Amino acid sequence: MINLTINGKPITVEPDTTVLSAARQNGIHIPTLCDHPHLTPYGGCRLCVVEVKGMRVPIAACTLPAADGMSVETDTPALRESRATILNLLFSERNHFCPFCQVSGNDCQLQQAAYGQDITHWDIQPQWKNFPVDTSHPHFILDNNRCILCRRCLRACAEMSGNFTISVEERGAATLIIADNGVPFGESTCVSCGSCVQVCPTGALIDRQSAYLGQNTHLTTTKTVCAGCSVGCGITVYTRDNRIVKIHGDWDAFNAGTICKTGRFTPLEPAPARIQSPLIRVAGKLTPTSWEEALAAAAEAVKPGQTAAYASPRLPLESLRAFQQIFAPQAAPAAESVDGKLDALRNADCVLILGVDLAKTHEVLGFMVKRNLPKGTKLIVIDPAPNSWDELAHIAIKPVAEQDVPAEMAAVIRQNGLARIPTWPGASVSADETITAAAEMFARAVAPAIVYAGDPGQALLDLAKLTGVVDSERSGLIPVKGAANSAGAIQLGVDKALWPENATAYIALGDDIPSPELLAALENIPFLVVQSAYENALTDRADVVLPAMTWAEQPGTYLNLDGRAQTATPSLTAPAGVRDNTSILEILAKTAGITN
Amino acid sequence: MPKPKISSDWMAGCSGCHMSLLDMDERILEIIELADLRATPITDLKEPDESGVDVGILEGGINNSSNEEVAHRMRARSKILVALGDCAVFGGVPALRNMCGTQEALRRAYIEAESNDESGKIPDDPELATMSNVRALHEVVDVDVFIPGCPPDADVIYYALKELAQGRMPEIKNEKLHWH
Repeated sequence: MINLTINGKPITVEPDTTVLSAARQNGIHIPTLCDHPHLTPYGGCRLCVVEVKGMRVPIAACTLPAADGMSVETDTPALRESRATILNLLFSERNHFCPFCQVSGNDCQLQQAAYGQDITHWDIQPQWKNFPVDTSHPHFILDNNRCILCRRCLRACAEMSGNFTISVEERGAATLIIADNGVPFGESTCVSCGSCVQVCPTGALIDRQSAYLGQNTHLTTTKTVCAGCSVGCGITVYTRDNRIVKIHGDWDAFNAGTICKTGRFTPLEPAPARIQSPLIRVAGKLTPTSWEEALAAAAEAVKPGQTAAYASPRLPLESLRAFQQIFAPQAAPAAESVDGKLDALRNADCVLILGVDLAKTHEVLGFMVKRNLPKGTKLIVIDPAPNSWDELAHIAIKPVAEQDVPAEMAAVIRQNGLARIPTWPGASVSADETITAAAEMFARAVAPAIVYAGDPGQALLDLAKLTGVVDSERSGLIPVKGAANSAGAIQLGVDKALWPENATAYIALGDDIPSPELLAALENIPFLVVQSAYENALTDRADVVLPAMTWAEQPGTYLNLDGRAQTATPSLTAPAGVRDNTSILEILAKTAGITN
Repeated sequence: MPKPKISSDWMAGCSGCHMSLLDMDERILEIIELADLRATPITDLKEPDESGVDVGILEGGINNSSNEEVAHRMRARSKILVALGDCAVFGGVPALRNMCGTQEALRRAYIEAESNDESGKIPDDPELATMSNVRALHEVVDVDVFIPGCPPDADVIYYALKELAQGRMPEIKNEKLHWH
């Protein structure tokens, strides 16, 4: 343990703690700008300078390791003067006129820092130089005139999403934040995760949707769970007047603030027309009716075992359970789960990606892999289809039909004596050079992990055991499960549609959109009940439509791909006349006489 | 003891700071109790007394030779000079034309603006004040008190005037310090 004093107060901290962290842990405020608790310290803005006894000049607390016997002062008149000068220099570099800036008020950390130093005016006036404004990105605007070059965006791009799109060009006061090698953001390698916007301390990066819709203090915040995929990231939803203004990654959740385009921007896209009332087909035309009539008509059609049924795996666990009780009471619970833990990716030094394109789905899982690549983590991608990561991979393997690459890798490992567990040498194999290289790279990794989609297959499980991906301490065999509650649907045995012959059909969509496969399968169904939030091709065809809530309107539990059960909290109020998906199914069960 | 004299004027601003001053409503009577409100843009007397005032208040930045004259006159005649609002303190919204230059701003406004017809012409009457870059008040004359804000809150103006009227220097900090 390290003992030091800050402002005369004796403090004890763990080794490898910075003076800034030591102060924060003890409730001592040191002003900062470039520092962000979830990003690597950078020491750029110098606002956090402190005086350390025996040191010649004030020194940045964010990058200064606390040392035994250190005596630190954080708020002397000289430091306050330094900070005021530092801020004044920042203000003089670019256009920091507050009255027309989106973040002025409470959200601008530069303005707040100035208030903190009692700055009433600028001793040095601005230099009146124009810097570029980049409006090419569909989701956000980069205004270099508002930028203080703290490089939080750059660090977030690298450390959170592992995308490395943001960098800088030029030097000193002429430095500019750029995308790639200086292309417009909208034409860059940006994947629109928006983390840069979330961490920007000024109005330099503002998001088009939420800009000028209110300060954070005007908005209501709700911590909940993203329903975009089976990673289940924690999010903070900002709302005003029952509309979502913006979505941020929740710093306190397991994903530590990182989310993707699907979580941050997709929910803000214009939605299809909402269904506001139960509908029933009368003389060929869908007509508004009462809940009683609609439920009675639906219950009439629902005959367990004879009704084709499908529930969207985006629905909460409670809805899926109610669905199971009606339509699949005998559904067998899934066999023992082999779910890996996302935590295994944190220190993985070799990751094998099998048959999944993490640039197209489960992007945050991809970020967890990509951000480790600069640390030397090796990447093996096995995918018969073109994969966005083929070029990124150290080894990319394109299996031909029927080729079982994991089996070949396992055989190479056995034969070359690289297995971590006692095993037999196995038959001699004739794996090609690439597969041999991949097998050796993977087997030599200290902390390997596998990300795969679909059925793992015996060979993959075997490979995982041979290489220590799965052992008594690690569970690095991570399945990509699809939708927000696919893991829950699998556990309840309702992950697949039920298709008895000559059936009527009950489709619980919630706010999901029907897939082309679902539409095709229901082509000739004689009687169709759809539980849906939005109008779509399926509700157009339905005989009874039951209006349901969206993910943002209903409470519920979501089981993510590594078995984490997380509670979603409603952030919006549903339109009158619309019910939550669980209640609809529970009332339907009663109306149909299935439950009491 | 005679009441301290307060005078104000406006330059390159929008008069919003004076509107905010009036927003203190009936509390202005307390100020009048304590101080002698002399020349302001909203009273009949238009120039501060030649014999001087105790407190001079200026709204707006300095964007031409006329503003400069107003600033120098107020400075010369005031014991304490107050810069009121973001334009006087920083240059404010008018100062954004410094980014493109005065000539460019004039051309955009008088010739290129969509509402102009073919005959657009930049005013060049020799009687007109000479335009310059927009400057904050303290770039032209010494300032004693800065009250930023666009506009400053009526509560802050009331506080500052009440302090000044009683011979104290207002402290603009914490909840009284706003630039927006």
